[in-house]
Amino acid sequence: MGERLVNRLKERRTELGLTQAELAERVGVTRKTVNTVENGVFTPSATLAIKLAKALDLSVEQLFWIES
Amino acid sequence: MNERSISERADYLSRRRARILPMLAILYFSQQISFFSALGNGPHRDVDHFKIGAWVALSLALLFALATKGFLFQPKAVRDLIDDEGTRANRLDAMRLGFLFACFAAIAAYFIAEFQPLTVGEAAHLVLTFGLGAALIRFGYLERRAHKDG
Repeated sequence: MGERLVNRLKERRTELGLTQAELAERVGVTRKTVNTVENGVFTPSATLAIKLAKALDLSVEQLFWIES
Repeated sequence: MNERSISERADYLSRRRARILPMLAILYFSQQISFFSALGNGPHRDVDHFKIGAWVALSLALLFALATKGFLFQPKAVRDLIDDEGTRANRLDAMRLGFLFACFAAIAAYFIAEFQPLTVGEAAHLVLTFGLGAALIRFGYLERRAHKDG
């Protein structure tokens, strides 16, 4: 059975009133990388996942989880 | 250059690259039509040497654009941002596909050589054209998809 990594990046980013570009700046990537992570197209590295979680004031587990 | 302008600049250049690379790949493929149509037609004329020289120059330029951060005249901060994690992943994916296409082209060249004599140069031309062309199209596609909202 396939597993996929899902996230609540968009929801949390919107809650904090951040644009993709602003979040991208905070974690040091381009807007398109944030866009692909949000859409589930790209699975981020552990480093980027930690940076995103920190920037959004959540733990990695609260931001990302695996769905079967 | 402040933080805002660095990320905006990187985003703009990245979008531009995503638009241009597939077009360059199509140009690259179309440039090969005359080469492949003349395949096995005997020794090269002077004009053919010029075309082959232009092909080598274009191949090197495209290989550079694909395999490096590119944008040599941009500040380091912008170049580093353009080459972020997502871009590197897209590049690796594109190179993987390019490698597979190069292998298939090499196998095709091997079989063609059974029926029609191929020079080393012609075989190398086949392998590089398909390998590099496929990688460029894939990279351009992945980058465009990454920029697409939603």
